[in-house]
Amino acid sequence: MRLAGFYAFAAFVALLPVLFRDNYFVTVVGASAGLHVILAVGLNLLMGYAGQISLGHAAFFGMGAYASAILTTRFAWPGLLAMAAGLLVAGAVAWLLARPILRLRGHYLAMATLGFGIIIHVIMVQAMRWTGGPDGLAGIPPLNLFGWTVEGDQQWYGVIAAAMLLAIWLSLNLVDSQVGRALRAVHGSEFAAQMMGVDTGRAKTQVFVVSALFAAFAGSLFAHQQAFVSPDSFNLIVSVELVTMVVLGGMASTFGAACGAIALTLLHQGLVVFEDYEMLIHGALLMAVMIFLPQGLFVGLSQGAQRLWVLAKRRWRSS
Amino acid sequence: MPEQLFQFLVTGVTVGSIYALVGLGFALIYNASDVVNFAQGEFVMLGAMTAIALLGAGLPLPLAAVAATLLTVLIGLLLERFAIEPAFGASVVTTIIITIGAAILVRGIALLLWGKDFHALPSFSGDAPLHLGSATLLPQSLWVLGGAVVLVTLVHTFLNHTLLGKALLACSFNRAAAQLVGINVRVMLRLAYGLSAGLGALAGILIAPITFSSYEAGVMLGLKGFSAAIVGGIGNPMGAVAGGLLLGVLEALGAGLISSGYKDAIAFLFVLMVLFFEPTGLFGHKVAERV
Amino acid sequence: MTAPATLPDFTPPPLLVVTGVEQSFGGVMALAGVSFQVPAGLIYAVIGPNGAGKTTLFNDLCGFYQPSAGSIRFDGHELCGLPPHRIAARGMARTFQNLQLFFNMTVVENVMVGCHLRARTGLLAVALRLPQVRREERQLRVWAREALELCDLAHRAEQPAGALPYGLMKRVEIARALAAKPRLLLLDEPAAGLNDTETLALRELIARIRASGVTVLLVEHNMPLVMNVSDRLLVLDYGSVLAEGTPAEIQADPRVIAAYLGGAVQYAV
Repeated sequence: MRLAGFYAFAAFVALLPVLFRDNYFVTVVGASAGLHVILAVGLNLLMGYAGQISLGHAAFFGMGAYASAILTTRFAWPGLLAMAAGLLVAGAVAWLLARPILRLRGHYLAMATLGFGIIIHVIMVQAMRWTGGPDGLAGIPPLNLFGWTVEGDQQWYGVIAAAMLLAIWLSLNLVDSQVGRALRAVHGSEFAAQMMGVDTGRAKTQVFVVSALFAAFAGSLFAHQQAFVSPDSFNLIVSVELVTMVVLGGMASTFGAACGAIALTLLHQGLVVFEDYEMLIHGALLMAVMIFLPQGLFVGLSQGAQRLWVLAKRRWRSS
Repeated sequence: MPEQLFQFLVTGVTVGSIYALVGLGFALIYNASDVVNFAQGEFVMLGAMTAIALLGAGLPLPLAAVAATLLTVLIGLLLERFAIEPAFGASVVTTIIITIGAAILVRGIALLLWGKDFHALPSFSGDAPLHLGSATLLPQSLWVLGGAVVLVTLVHTFLNHTLLGKALLACSFNRAAAQLVGINVRVMLRLAYGLSAGLGALAGILIAPITFSSYEAGVMLGLKGFSAAIVGGIGNPMGAVAGGLLLGVLEALGAGLISSGYKDAIAFLFVLMVLFFEPTGLFGHKVAERV
Repeated sequence: MTAPATLPDFTPPPLLVVTGVEQSFGGVMALAGVSFQVPAGLIYAVIGPNGAGKTTLFNDLCGFYQPSAGSIRFDGHELCGLPPHRIAARGMARTFQNLQLFFNMTVVENVMVGCHLRARTGLLAVALRLPQVRREERQLRVWAREALELCDLAHRAEQPAGALPYGLMKRVEIARALAAKPRLLLLDEPAAGLNDTETLALRELIARIRASGVTVLLVEHNMPLVMNVSDRLLVLDYGSVLAEGTPAEIQADPRVIAAYLGGAVQYAV
């Protein structure tokens, strides 16, 4: 069955809070991982499938978060409406930016997306009247989903888990389709893709917008879950983290991106213990993984598992 | 109004000189290896912070500066040997992440050694402001400008008039061909990293008396230097210098005339505009794809 | 100087009419006024020395370059100024001189991309995996298999495109182009890098393609193949038309022999 892996993963996610009741680690870290999965899966469509680099993706995450924050606190909009507005803004910006930016290649594209991310971050810090400046906006009201107010870690775990599964499902559908193949074709050879009738400019714009929408969606959820937003959550380091999650998972794999997101979230949790050494170890680990597992964790692990399996079979046969 | 403009220009050229030196470092490494070294900014920070530390330990300023530069060059060579060489042949994104990881590592070490405090180097020749027409100039600015001119000229001469420098450039034009004529590409790579680290360190030492240094000082400088290299057309060393000066001036004008809080946004907006109209930078090689 | 070729009388009307196409790259005149017509249902070859402008002509026809002057009419419609994906939508497909396979996909996935123009479902329907998407996926696979079978590649369908031997990779490109059900198929040096057995198989494939109703325009250096398989030839030299005619006429043309074929060699027709 095409979605066998997906259903297995969904079952695992649903069982986790049941198996580990009242466990902070599961609900809070799990929720954080869930948001990262949404971000990584969206970015993976852009980077892994369409082959574009984006070092500014945290900007779209921030757009969704700030839209929800500003509209619900300053203008008393209902949460879902504010989320829709955030999606609209992020989508529109992505749509406008896509054509000029996606004409660029390699390091030029990296620079342009990086610059875009920094510009948005500066606006978050400077536009104090709207965004609350470097101190951010607090007091974001809880999210109201058709009468049910989401409150507490357990409920947020459920909402984010559902959102994450939705994101993964959408991504799997997109990838395993003519749309997904057309995207991979653009990555494989733009000339040939054009000659097959693929409007490559439009395809790249579409995937850029979709990845921005995923990010903004995660951003809105983040804002309500934390009840607080500040520019620190949407800076260059975060953008780099997102790219690392995608690359770590092994690009061009939805589950790979999800694995990368979960792995990195757990890693950060683990690193907090080291306090002052956190940054140093973070940098060292980043380098080590990229040097020794450039094809990504997912592919690396599955290759390692395959090798172990072959070894085990050989030993079993010889005994 | 014109007096103000002149002041902004002076500030801009001073800051731009630093961007130019950092950008030059990016261009050199890119030339030799097709890799953008995101740890370049950290070389600047290391140069400044090490010099400050050595000065604090009792060394006289010139000696501290030289020692700091040499130490940073060593770090640059170590980076190349242990981070870049093992990952030879990896994809663009992978190498970007490796160098970013290296930058974070260096920053983490700096954080451990020197904490989050801000430090400053004393000015080389005092703090009495000079008056150039209607503009006020810190004497250190002259050191920055002078130092940048000297360094850029030295690098330019090296690249275009010495055999070793031409070999370095040859690696960027066509690595296979360079190898075939006997150029040891590995050595060229080490040379590039060492040179860039040295340039970065000197830039950091020059600017340290004017701006406050901390473990995070390298981040924005690195990004602006990268922007300078991109604007000039990545791979074009003198283009990076021009890009840096342009970036510095435009940033200063933007900060002065529009808003100083938004100055970074203005700088990067400029970079984006350049890229939208010249996808390979102002002086970059135009790449044609054969079908 | 080139003499204008007198075009014989054809019924039905020509599928492709190229008139006075010029292409210059900064001072270099790659094509200096090329005119010819390709009738439907024929196998039409373009030959000439390296640098004569053959691939430039192909790139102009497909929309990768815009001609500096002249007109290209395909099936009655003007193509100049259209981007490649719109030209493909009009019924033109091509293979590439330096292989442009999608190495990140399997053989059958490559060919399914070829069916892109025959797929109808939009982004939202695909994301939500609506029933029509599932139906269309099955249909696309069927069409892809048909193209693979025509090219004798059905047994390689699930292999990664990059894992195939070179000759088969070239054939995947042809299958991929055919999957679009084009009216005109442009083959850019399909025999380059193929050995004799593979070239023979290619010849048979081109004949099968023609039999299925597709007009073929081919650029090739392999003279025995070209003379054997083509109905008409166009000879380019330094961006101009040197001669146009049947293989027998071209082989006998002294200007062509002097410029390209070198000596009176007879290729079996």
